[in-house]
Amino acid sequence: MSVSYGTAAVEQHGSFASRTMPARPARRFLHRGLLRTGSLLVFIAVFTAFSLASPLFLTFANIVTVIGQSAVVGILAFGLTSVIIGGGADVVRGGIDLSLASNLGLGSAVYASLVQAGYGDAAAIAATLAVGLSVGTVNAISIVSIGILPLLATVAVMNICGGLELVLTQNTAISVSTPLLDLLSGTDRFGIPFLAYVIVAVAAILIVTLQYTAYGLRLYAVGEHREAARAAGLPVQAYVVSSYLISGLCGGIAAILYTALLSGSTTGSGEMLLPVVATALLGNVFSGRLLPTIGGTLLSTLLIGFLANGFQLLHVSSYWVSGIQGLLILSVVAATSLVRRRRS
Amino acid sequence: MTVITSSPTSPHQGQRPDRRDSTFRRYLLQYGLLIALLGVSAFFAAMSPTFLTTANFASILVNSFALPAIIAIAMTLAVGSGGIDLSVATAVDLASLAFVGTLAAGWPVPGAILAGLGAAALTGIFNGLLITGLNITPFLATLGTLFIGRSVQQVLANGGNPVYLSSSKLPAAVKFLAHGSFLGVPLPLYVVGFIALVAFILLELTIFGRGVRAIGARPQVAYFSGLRVRRDIVWIYLLSAAISGVAGILLSATVSAYIPYSGNAFLLNAIGAAFIGTTFGARGHANIIGTILGVLLLAIVANGLLLVGWNFYWQQVGTGAFIFLILAFSFASKRRQQRA
Repeated sequence: MSVSYGTAAVEQHGSFASRTMPARPARRFLHRGLLRTGSLLVFIAVFTAFSLASPLFLTFANIVTVIGQSAVVGILAFGLTSVIIGGGADVVRGGIDLSLASNLGLGSAVYASLVQAGYGDAAAIAATLAVGLSVGTVNAISIVSIGILPLLATVAVMNICGGLELVLTQNTAISVSTPLLDLLSGTDRFGIPFLAYVIVAVAAILIVTLQYTAYGLRLYAVGEHREAARAAGLPVQAYVVSSYLISGLCGGIAAILYTALLSGSTTGSGEMLLPVVATALLGNVFSGRLLPTIGGTLLSTLLIGFLANGFQLLHVSSYWVSGIQGLLILSVVAATSLVRRRRS
Repeated sequence: MTVITSSPTSPHQGQRPDRRDSTFRRYLLQYGLLIALLGVSAFFAAMSPTFLTTANFASILVNSFALPAIIAIAMTLAVGSGGIDLSVATAVDLASLAFVGTLAAGWPVPGAILAGLGAAALTGIFNGLLITGLNITPFLATLGTLFIGRSVQQVLANGGNPVYLSSSKLPAAVKFLAHGSFLGVPLPLYVVGFIALVAFILLELTIFGRGVRAIGARPQVAYFSGLRVRRDIVWIYLLSAAISGVAGILLSATVSAYIPYSGNAFLLNAIGAAFIGTTFGARGHANIIGTILGVLLLAIVANGLLLVGWNFYWQQVGTGAFIFLILAFSFASKRRQQRA
């Protein structure tokens, strides 16, 4: 389904042409470089524009606050990125995890209910992470063992999680306060929110695991070309399972942060799903070969965070934020497909 | 069902499975959705005396079938062409906004309906151009449209506030559209029937429909066979949006208001129904009858769980688990069939 309509022919002709004509690596490099630099330039341009327009933007406090506020969406998007890495970029047949947002909602509800019932932070954390991992396991089983399309399997799991969250909370907000939640929602003595540390730490761990280990390389291999990976002797299914477990765990971690940020569980976490999908897919343009990477996802999370924050500081109506997010996705994807076409 | 879940695969290679058995299983698989629908209905009929009453069925059909069915039909067109349309939600909302907005401004009802359909059609054309002109995959293109649609609603509706039609301003025709009936059948069901019929004819009996299915199966082959892939794709997304727009107009006529982002509630069920529908029939492609059965199944399960005494929250869990089971069953048996 990732075949773009009509371009198939163009791509074919393109490849005939490149076979008969001498390759022009310089130009190819230029296009690819242009896109990557282009997306970085967009980032820098956004940053500079806001810094010039608002004196409050380029302050230490503001920047670390934005990073902290991006933690929940960012960590969910990391989870989705790992699934896309292991499953391939095709959104229907490849890797996708639409259950992430409701996984977060359920985890947060579990955390808040346990604290309300008198359990401590340790038990609540363990339960929340266990919920995340179980959701990941159910996704993995239904996709790998039963063979349901990832898009459908995770939509069904999303509905189940959303329902369980409703059962637990009776559709009300549960506000709780524990030492750990207070710590997480606070700042350290330099004024840096603890959430900022968490997102940086999670990003660092995942970048090392997925980008710099043999495991990560093999996960990419499984996602890019499953048959080739299988022929090379990789236990393909185990790798796909592991990517959904990472995603489920990210959902659990994000649930804890979400509970801290809102001092409790609230309804409506499902709203976060589409922004998370958009963030993860937007991350592709920040990598050299237009692949999903954790670093790219981190940059796209921050870009969207800074955009929203900058608009707020400039008193631009928040109405425009999601529209600009949409335009950003579309222009980035259009540019990517243009470069891909040129390249082949 | 036990026939399928027991393992009939032979341990000896080369020994073919019993032919009659495999034919039986194939039929069971093809019509599994219908069997599930009947089975579930029988189950709830046995569990609750109110289930099999005309009043209950009328309530299911009007309240939880009509609008989801229209949106799922729209989704079926996109899924049938090998794509997906996440912005059906946007088309619903924009149609509703335009319809209510123009009515509030004193437009006559036909004009307001046209305005609603026009607003929905705009999102469809936008999608079509993104997909064919800029080569963005349908998922991402319609996701982008969904985001932009959100902003458009916020800007136009003053921050995404509902627009209510005061009952004095509400024309009788609008009330009739939502609550009227003809020959004892509520009007929205005629609309569903009409749209389903047109979509069925379009997809199954016309050259256009055959082309769309070819594009859905193999876009490259379709292109090299001389099909006008781009034009057909634009039409598909335009139709999908316009049909969703009808749902938006019916929705706002029912509640006599525009409620922002109300289309989102239909999105995932529409995707679910369209894909569950692909399991109906021999060829495994998205089809209108399968989709309708899928929506009906979801509506009946939700209704039945309520009737047997599950509260609203457990009903959500039950419906989700039920969808999951259907998907698991159909994909597992498909996989088994492929292996055999």
